[in-house]
Amino acid sequence: MSRPRSQAEYLARLVPPSVAGINRRSLLAGAAGTGALLGTGLLAGCGDDSGGSDSKEVSLGSNQSDAKPKDVLAKVTDGFKTSSGVQVAVNTVDHNTFQENINNYLQGKPDDVFTWFAGYRMRFFAQKGLASDVSDVWGKLSGYSDAFKKASTGDDGKQYFVPASYYPWAVFYRKSVWQQYGYQTPKTLDDFTTLAGQMKKDGLTPIAFADKDGWPAMGTFDILNLRINGYQFHVDLMAGKEAWTSDKVKKIFDTWAGLLPLHQPDSLGRTWQEAAQSLQQKKSGMYLLGLFVGQQFSNEEQNDLDFFTFPEIDPVIGAKALDAPIDGYMMARKPKNEDNARKLLEYFGGKAAADITVKNDPATLVANTGADVSGYTALQKKAAEVVGSATEIAQFLDRDTRPDFASTVIIPALQQFIKDPKDIGGLTSSIENQKKSIFTD
Amino acid sequence: MSTATATRRTEDGVEAPARRKLTPLRLLLHGFLITVALTWLFPIAWAVLTSLRSYEYTAANGYASFGGWTLDNYVTAWRTAEFGKHFLNSVYITVPAVLLTLFLASCVAFVIARFSWKLNLVLLGVFTAANLLPQQALLIPLFRLFTEVPLPEFMSDSELLYDSYWGLILINVAFQCGFCVFVLSNYMKALPRDLYEAAMVDGASIWRQYWQVTMPLCRPALAALATLEVTWIYNEFFWATVLMRTGDKFPVTSSLNNLRGEFFTDNNLVSAGSVLVAIPTLVIFFMLQRHFVRGLTLGASKG
Repeated sequence: MSRPRSQAEYLARLVPPSVAGINRRSLLAGAAGTGALLGTGLLAGCGDDSGGSDSKEVSLGSNQSDAKPKDVLAKVTDGFKTSSGVQVAVNTVDHNTFQENINNYLQGKPDDVFTWFAGYRMRFFAQKGLASDVSDVWGKLSGYSDAFKKASTGDDGKQYFVPASYYPWAVFYRKSVWQQYGYQTPKTLDDFTTLAGQMKKDGLTPIAFADKDGWPAMGTFDILNLRINGYQFHVDLMAGKEAWTSDKVKKIFDTWAGLLPLHQPDSLGRTWQEAAQSLQQKKSGMYLLGLFVGQQFSNEEQNDLDFFTFPEIDPVIGAKALDAPIDGYMMARKPKNEDNARKLLEYFGGKAAADITVKNDPATLVANTGADVSGYTALQKKAAEVVGSATEIAQFLDRDTRPDFASTVIIPALQQFIKDPKDIGGLTSSIENQKKSIFTD
Repeated sequence: MSTATATRRTEDGVEAPARRKLTPLRLLLHGFLITVALTWLFPIAWAVLTSLRSYEYTAANGYASFGGWTLDNYVTAWRTAEFGKHFLNSVYITVPAVLLTLFLASCVAFVIARFSWKLNLVLLGVFTAANLLPQQALLIPLFRLFTEVPLPEFMSDSELLYDSYWGLILINVAFQCGFCVFVLSNYMKALPRDLYEAAMVDGASIWRQYWQVTMPLCRPALAALATLEVTWIYNEFFWATVLMRTGDKFPVTSSLNNLRGEFFTDNNLVSAGSVLVAIPTLVIFFMLQRHFVRGLTLGASKG
């Protein structure tokens, strides 16, 4: 498309063709006619557009607004510039705004490449045609487990996503507290309940818990679902294919209701940071949360932090699946500089980018297994191991289902359940009714 | 505000009594006023207090403790959220928007107040009614519209109304005009008609009557509105986040979100940022405070 690049050109464009033609004719002798002249003018404009700026540039919409990740991303894009000579124009928008605006953003004029999440959220935009197929980039990538490739694949079997980092959800605790009381990592739900009961006797709050913001309780629901009903049921339930009124779902809530007295009370008025605080202050024994729980701890205290994956409930299902949301990159539909965008995605998915990330950000787990992870802390190593050995990786409830379903139905429903765990029948049928009106297509 | 004018009146009173008697009722009144004042001040004072303490200290000891004083939050907030750049963005949006709103609104108000046409009331009604419209309801049509309207590149590098300052200025002007027309037309209606008759006898054109007779007289009302509009447009946050795409172009209120982490939020840091962002509105208010009170009360008592 041709657009004027200066005020003079803009004004010149406002002149009717009949008049403009005369001027141009006098300037460009020998040209055929007004129409043709205008045509070449337009083409020349286009040529300018793509030739002047496009070949050595690519734009990247980033939600990495936290100081550390932002800095790391800048280093990675520098690395890309050195290796390919292409300059990345990074457009950083804070995480929350980016997420809330994603629909507008992708339908407006998105950057060539943008940060996003794996799972349903990725498939949703892929299916809407708002993201481009990057299967050819995947052909050049190595170092990814099948679980990661699966999480990057859309409904049509093509890849739309390049993973960069992830973090697992697990039960975190302070080693010093557990040593003091001689606690052992529980292997089954019974062990877990006994342990929590012992913590209560020792004057601790067994399980720190907070759900003011609505999403932390999804972690508990997810892990119980994965342990009781398994990964495939989780996927189907989130896709709206299974009934919420089924006994399988009721069993999740039943089990949860049994555990709820062991959780920190009044959780609806607490943020995860405050709950993590109680763990940090050694008032709580353990806390089911993402790896980011460490951000509430000072650097010295981080070495005291350890975790175990949620114990087995059903021996048939085992305890190998877990929530480990993956963050990564996607390409917009019709990117301005498509070749560079693909090159950038390939670089992001490669070993070099992962190595830079590990070296500069000790809090991130990189998705590429080929990366040099000697810089990992003990906690990171363990997390990478746990996720690497996981049979299936779920993306977390609100990333695995429609965003409107997660925020308007599930958040209030789980909060309702925490307030009143008795009426499971009423709760599940209410979720099911709302689900039917949301999952219409 | 009413208390301020009330006390001033007694101070200026011709026969001010030496000292009021301290009756129980008066004690009660003062007790009540002090309580209300403190209640209003509490959140702001709390934010300022929080912003001056380190997160490590409050995390370990709780907010009810005392200690951990530091100014680091301000430095960090300014740096991480890049306030310098974003304050400038806010200026680019607020200043033209306020000036344009006041100019356009005063034009409409002048016509409504000065001439008596049949459609005057309808016109005023339309402008006022638009105030009652929830802005968010217009989000989708406006968003579509903005992504379709092209701008030349020297006006906006997005080449669209979307993601340009022009678009935001336009939106703010559109949404703020209604209220300004309402206030200004009421104010102008209170101006004596004789002025215009005199002006006409002197041969002043309509433009002159507007620009040289009406506008100078409206100064208090304009100053009051300017204070309010600066605050409102500066604080406007919704449209800026929806109609902008480039993080670097966000106004300062939207950039405050940069201080919130993906998961972790340092509340003390956010307090420091909020205090910084609130300062310009306070400055504007104290600068124009005199006009502000006069502008509103003058219009009220005469209208």
